[in-house]
Amino acid sequence: MRDKKSKNLLWLSSIRFLLRHPWHFALSILGVALGVSVVVSIDLSNNSAKKAFALSTEAVTGKATHQIKGAAENLDEDVYIKLRIEGKIRKSAPVVKGYGRISGMNKTFQILGVDPLAEAPFRDFASQQSGIELGDFITGKNTGLIAQPVAEQLQLSLGDTMIVSVGGRAQNILLSGVIKAGNDRSRRALENILLVDISTAQRMFNMQGQLSRIDLILPDRREEALLSRIKGLLPQGTLITRSDSRSETVAQMSRAFEFNLQALSMLALLVGMFLIYNTMTFSVVQRRQLIGRLRALGTTKNEILTIILKEALLIGFLGTLLGIIAGIFMAQGLVKLVTQSINDLYFVLSVQELSIGLFPLAKAAVLGIGATIIAAFWPAREASKAEVSTVLRRSSNESKITRRLLPLAGYGLIIGLVGGTLLLIPNGGIAAGYISLLFMIVGFSMMIPLLIVGMATVFRPLMGKLNGIIGKMSVRGVVTELSRTSVAIAALVVAVAATVGVGVMVDSFRGTVVSWLEAQLQADVYVQPPSAVSRKADAKLEPKLVELLKETEGVSRWHTVRSVDVQTNYGTDQLVAIEQGVEAQETYQLKESLENFWQRYMVEDIVMVSEAYAYRHNVSLGDSLFITTDRGRQAFTIEAINFDYASDIGTITMHRDIYKQYFDDRAISGLALYAMDGMSVDRLVERLRNRAQGQQEVFIRSNKGLREASIAIFDRTFTVTIVLRMLAIIVAFIGILSALMALQLERSRELAVLRANGMTPGQLWNYVISQTGIMGIMAGILSVPLGILMAYILVYVINLRSFGWTLQFMIDPQVLLQAVGLAIVAALLAGLYPSRKMAQANPADALRND
Amino acid sequence: MFGRHTTKNENEFMAQDAHIQLKDLTKSYKEGDKSRSVLDELNLSVEEGEMIVLLGRSGSGKSTLLNLVSGIDKPDSGEVSIGGTDLSDMNEKDRTLFRRKHIGFVFQSFNLIPTLTALENVLLPLKLKGETDGDIIEKAQRYLDEVELGDRGDSYPDRLSGGEQQRVAIARALAHEPMLILADEPTGNLDYETGRTILDMLNSLVRQNGRTMIIATHDQDICQIADRVVELKGGKLHNVEHSAAAVE
Repeated sequence: MRDKKSKNLLWLSSIRFLLRHPWHFALSILGVALGVSVVVSIDLSNNSAKKAFALSTEAVTGKATHQIKGAAENLDEDVYIKLRIEGKIRKSAPVVKGYGRISGMNKTFQILGVDPLAEAPFRDFASQQSGIELGDFITGKNTGLIAQPVAEQLQLSLGDTMIVSVGGRAQNILLSGVIKAGNDRSRRALENILLVDISTAQRMFNMQGQLSRIDLILPDRREEALLSRIKGLLPQGTLITRSDSRSETVAQMSRAFEFNLQALSMLALLVGMFLIYNTMTFSVVQRRQLIGRLRALGTTKNEILTIILKEALLIGFLGTLLGIIAGIFMAQGLVKLVTQSINDLYFVLSVQELSIGLFPLAKAAVLGIGATIIAAFWPAREASKAEVSTVLRRSSNESKITRRLLPLAGYGLIIGLVGGTLLLIPNGGIAAGYISLLFMIVGFSMMIPLLIVGMATVFRPLMGKLNGIIGKMSVRGVVTELSRTSVAIAALVVAVAATVGVGVMVDSFRGTVVSWLEAQLQADVYVQPPSAVSRKADAKLEPKLVELLKETEGVSRWHTVRSVDVQTNYGTDQLVAIEQGVEAQETYQLKESLENFWQRYMVEDIVMVSEAYAYRHNVSLGDSLFITTDRGRQAFTIEAINFDYASDIGTITMHRDIYKQYFDDRAISGLALYAMDGMSVDRLVERLRNRAQGQQEVFIRSNKGLREASIAIFDRTFTVTIVLRMLAIIVAFIGILSALMALQLERSRELAVLRANGMTPGQLWNYVISQTGIMGIMAGILSVPLGILMAYILVYVINLRSFGWTLQFMIDPQVLLQAVGLAIVAALLAGLYPSRKMAQANPADALRND
Repeated sequence: MFGRHTTKNENEFMAQDAHIQLKDLTKSYKEGDKSRSVLDELNLSVEEGEMIVLLGRSGSGKSTLLNLVSGIDKPDSGEVSIGGTDLSDMNEKDRTLFRRKHIGFVFQSFNLIPTLTALENVLLPLKLKGETDGDIIEKAQRYLDEVELGDRGDSYPDRLSGGEQQRVAIARALAHEPMLILADEPTGNLDYETGRTILDMLNSLVRQNGRTMIIATHDQDICQIADRVVELKGGKLHNVEHSAAAVE
């Protein structure tokens, strides 16, 4: 046993050192764990959402290889009949699809209308073979099937009635059976589905005689021949696509969102790395004497380097392990937020459970351990490179760093400038943005020691006046121990700056959206059907209701909006048709346009695209856009680009008259009403609500109400970001706490000398708290410029490159004060324990212990 | 045994076949813009098994000289030859490897590794030297017995008194059977009585094991155990005739 233990005395000595400094050891592990847990939780929740999406797509698409879709929203059902009879395409199935809510359950269901007779080759669960009783299912009445667990949850049994709300209208559906899933995987995906007969679905969605799409299975070897036969049967504008391209489009849509989240999680890891760097540097500085002794006894530089890196590996391993476990727990909460954001932004998704993939865990392990090793490498190298003769003396390191202040700051400036230059690379992408951010952070950190010395010269007389000799001493202490204090302060600055950066970014975003909404919402009252996806107005208003509301007393004028998904040469895009004339220029803020756009857009084949759209597809004024219309593929010229923060996918806007020329669709997605002069908006809303009673259930909101609702959605989609910011704050807080506490605990001998020389416990307390407080203030102040720099890059580079939005840079002083406050409070708290410990301890013990 | 010292001039310290040979050693330090010379063309030859006491005031360069002899530091010019190996030609790594094989240290402030027990501290040079024999623990234990701390092997340095710590340091310096033992003020941190005990122990163990030793001190009392006493003054060595009177 003893022999085994003595096999590697250096390692044993290292382990014992860590165990003798449990606070320090634990806080280093915590630093790694926090960084890793944020990455893991974001990754897992993203992956779970993605997997759930893939599963439900798989379940709903079934084994279809191709899909036929109409130019606008729907497809005439005659197409299906023609296909089956004339085209003899047996493996084809009609589908009507939409979203709705079952009362008693707080989630959106996908309502799938199918023909069970045609389903067998496509979806097991929807065919006769799965035991669907045709007699009950196709009764001419509204009947439907839901998954067994959902039925249990709703306490429904066969023959009971469900109340299903679709686009604001409540409908009764008789539960005629339960969906039987083939396996566990599809069972989970199917928990989100209400399966109905095709004619029921048509009634529910007001789509009599129409289909959402036709699914096809085309065998590989005959694909070409069959495709050309099918194309010959399809009316103009109809589209036939491979069924995997839809999921690709959605995947593409959410990629920017996902990337942004991942990038934010990497920022948390970066902050974590600084904490690791801080703790490892500290742990090396603490051991300079010990390392010197080992070197004197003949331990080589490489042996020292190896041992410190091995320690980092241990810390990295434990921290990563803990971070992965914590990340899994955090992901349970985060997945709900991510799902919410995805639902608001892109599509309806219900994530039932967290899927824990091997890849995110492996990635976290590599990142966590890798980041620790990288962060620990410099301190380890520094330790190994120290000359033995200087290591045996104490103050050599301090004089060394004082001599290096200016060159260090100079290098920092150069690195920062290199980072700035990286931003100039045109189309450098998001990665270049983040690399530049990293350079600037590192560069700024290298200037911190010089800045501390500068600040100390200002603080010293100030503290002298406020707190006498102890005040002066505490400032002086920060400078004399610069090699330790500067690293701690730099880590705090980076951690706190990250919270400033994200905070300013969210504020800028919110401010921009609020002022954009002010301009966008010109009408007094807005009428919209409830939509499954908040940012997508795909539901329709019933014509009867529209007429009723328009003719309400007190309404002076009105205009409508139609929003549909169309196929363009860039894939599936959102097209908005507006009815306003030239006065639309008051509503839409244009970034740029060709001459007299508003005068011409009512009569010419020209469109306006949103800024995000132009950025995503790299189009500009004068470019052509090809839209598949009911009249076939049609070219439109882009003649205006507008600001629009409602969608990061981007929208195409055209005049309703032009839309009418190319699409047969006459539906209305939204109605905007203007009150007569002297008519109170609230009274008008009330009157409109009364008129709408008993009709389709719709949202009738005042300008103010809609603005508030929109901001609420905005805030909800940003919850994830805010949660990440909170995590960054926690990381920063713990970092400050750990760095300063370790620093003070390490000074117990020096403090004992002060006690021995007559400093009272109260004065000692004052001294320690003053010093940590000053370090907190310094870190807080320094974090402001770096934070603003980070925000600048996040707003003008990362966000622009992820979403294509131009945001107004807005700095809320509260965010800055919060940062400085955070640093100071954490610093003061960090001083409490060591000062209490030292004030209570017998100085003789500390003096004897070496 | 103690009485063979005569005054010689510095050239007489040189002997071609000496065990340890320092030739024209020069070392200076930079202090701001100025350069301060610590060793100035210093020469010394030490025979195998000889015990040299190196006297000198604080700041006279004793520690610098020991650092050069041990290979911790490099001279500006001159040669350091130990057992026929010239350290001044070696790179840092080779000097380190040489040090751990052939040199034992006893410091004023003991410099035990606080995270290793007494026995492990003694074991450390053996492990560093790469000795893998099964009996190295017995060997370390034997040296610990020699300094009369056989029963304190499991104690950590902070549980030992100053004298006990220095005895562990002596055991550590001898355990890997080095060619040369360097002691820098070995009694400087100890009270008179303890200092005497330590010195006796060091003297008898070094002689018993036939090791060569250089002790740097400003304590004239130590001279009584020396075969030869030299004093470092003005960067050069001067032989000292030590008498019983000086000792007492």
